[in-house]
Amino acid sequence: MANETAVAQSAQGAPACGGGFVGELSRKEFLRKLGWACFATYMVGSVLAMLRFMFPNVLYEPPTSFKAGKPDEYPINSVSTKWTKSKRVWVVRTPKGFYALWARCTHLGCTPNWFESERRFKCPCHGSNFTMQGDVIFGPAPKPLYRAAIAKTDDGQLLIDKGRLENRPGARERGDFFLPHAENA
Amino acid sequence: MPEQTAVQQPAPAPVPTPKPQPPRRSIHQIVTTSKIWKSIFRHDFKDTPRTRVMRIFGNVFLHLQPVRIPRSAIRVSYSWGLGGITFFLFLILTVTGVLLMFYYRPSVTGAYQDMKDLEFVVTLGLLLRNMHRWSAHAMVVCTILHMIRVFLTGAYKAPREFNWGVGIVLLVLTLLLSFTGYLLPWDQLALWAVTVGTNMASATPLLGAEGPFSIVTPMNDARFVTLGGTIVGQNTLLRFYVLHCIALPLVLFILVSVHFWRVRKDGFSTPDPKSPAYQDKVDTWPHLIAREFLAALLVLILLTGASIFRNAPLEEAANPNRTPNPSKAPWYFAGLQELLVYFDPWIAGVVLPGVIVVGLLAIPFIDPNPKGIGYYSIKDRPLANSIFLFGNFLWFLLIAIGMYCRGPNWEWYWPWEPWSSHRITMARTWNIPNPIGLALIGGYFALGMTLPALLKREFFKQLGLIKYSIVMGLLLMMGGVVGKILLRLLLNVKYIVSFPQFNLNI
Repeated sequence: MANETAVAQSAQGAPACGGGFVGELSRKEFLRKLGWACFATYMVGSVLAMLRFMFPNVLYEPPTSFKAGKPDEYPINSVSTKWTKSKRVWVVRTPKGFYALWARCTHLGCTPNWFESERRFKCPCHGSNFTMQGDVIFGPAPKPLYRAAIAKTDDGQLLIDKGRLENRPGARERGDFFLPHAENA
Repeated sequence: MPEQTAVQQPAPAPVPTPKPQPPRRSIHQIVTTSKIWKSIFRHDFKDTPRTRVMRIFGNVFLHLQPVRIPRSAIRVSYSWGLGGITFFLFLILTVTGVLLMFYYRPSVTGAYQDMKDLEFVVTLGLLLRNMHRWSAHAMVVCTILHMIRVFLTGAYKAPREFNWGVGIVLLVLTLLLSFTGYLLPWDQLALWAVTVGTNMASATPLLGAEGPFSIVTPMNDARFVTLGGTIVGQNTLLRFYVLHCIALPLVLFILVSVHFWRVRKDGFSTPDPKSPAYQDKVDTWPHLIAREFLAALLVLILLTGASIFRNAPLEEAANPNRTPNPSKAPWYFAGLQELLVYFDPWIAGVVLPGVIVVGLLAIPFIDPNPKGIGYYSIKDRPLANSIFLFGNFLWFLLIAIGMYCRGPNWEWYWPWEPWSSHRITMARTWNIPNPIGLALIGGYFALGMTLPALLKREFFKQLGLIKYSIVMGLLLMMGGVVGKILLRLLLNVKYIVSFPQFNLNI
């Protein structure tokens, strides 16, 4: 109704003020639309603000790094489940060195178990299987297990940090994610 | 008043007559004629047509129902009272839930202890918790059965398309209420079911850190906002508590009101509202009300019995580092859990549930068949009924597999096989090479879309291009799910096509 009036006024060449183009908004119509636009902007802004409110700025979560004891506590060619229950990490020692696997299935986040007889990690939630290197060999997991950063502290212990992770073949076997024996002599 | 009149009048006859006694009024009469009573109740309680009507429209709750309804609409073997029973279960859940809240703290250090106290220390705490749990399961069952009933009697067809949609949203809300509720005991089932459930959020395309074409990180994706952090912890428990006790029930209550109101406005489903059968009406009071009351009583008896004789499970306290083996979701999510074995999380956890919900919402708009409203008939609706029942069958088949055919490490065990967590399998999955996989999927959809249109011209013409594409798209996806499941179970195929660089695997 209001639109028709506005168009009719403009068509008659009698705008409220200023030049008169056909189809031009009347002042009333302009203010009406502006009002609704402001209201809509406010509502959209409020929804976005509420959404932002749901993202916490400070997290009170357990620390991601821990000391995992002396390197010689771990036998060569073994997967240690010593830290699985408390820190959710497997420490793996190969003839060349150490790496730490984060015990979190890359499918949907359950903790797999290590089966020495099959040399596999198996997840109890959807049946994904991983090799000792962390590669998927069975089940739905889309990616290899993540490796946590591993280093040696000044007092000669292993330091494992789950805050830094890597699972790409190539990248995961070097740098912060693999600790060769030579360095921990 | 009559007494005073008698005193003032002189005695007309010499023989003294006994004074007329005031009529003796019972307590019942005194109460029901008092001003307080009349201010509350606007009608008497005689069984007259007028009172029957007044009882319904003079009552804010009862007048959600019409005063007179078709005799055919209250036949138990038509509706099975499932909608009403579902609502009654929601009321039981509200009452038991509010009572449980008096003894429960949503804190990671206190919640499990409070559950133990409810079980062993609080008078009737165990019974209330059992009742809450069993009503929740019953509500899921009744909501699904109600949906199936409404589908089979064509009660979603015009003019009830909108209410069908509201019903589907209510089904989703019921499942979300169950999902948020089972974190609260803070036991192993709670923690791991929610870990799995919320990790599916991180597989959301674009908005999940591990989903296809992700544009976010683990610190700001859909999972992060659901958990209120990066792990299932205190923030998560509090979030789920608020959602479970306040936000979701509130939304459900509002939508249930809309749902009831639309039933009232749209009328009961019938092929012809003007037909004599539909016009044969009875008074809602007492005919429908009595049935509702009896149904509620029956539910209450069954629930109380179940709650006395069977305890709600409570596993050991939540341990964020160790997952029980096997870790099974509650039965109504076991189908989803099983589906996740065969597909990447973004398909099984996001796309397929989304398609199922959208597909259900779309049903009234893609079904062109005007027949079959208000009665059960496979003859009048062979295609629609078979597809819908097959879909439901598939869902319950997946649930049965998840519940009864999965053992340690989620490996396949027949129900009669003993479990062994050290069984050696050595099984490996393999991927179909991408070119072959793309050709397979492309060929399947291309043939599936065109062949029926060419072979059954009538079917294609009846639906039109858009509806035909939607119907066939949904059907082909359903068939595709079955195909992929068989490929995995029989040939150990993991992916038909795989683009790991985009997290895109099918």
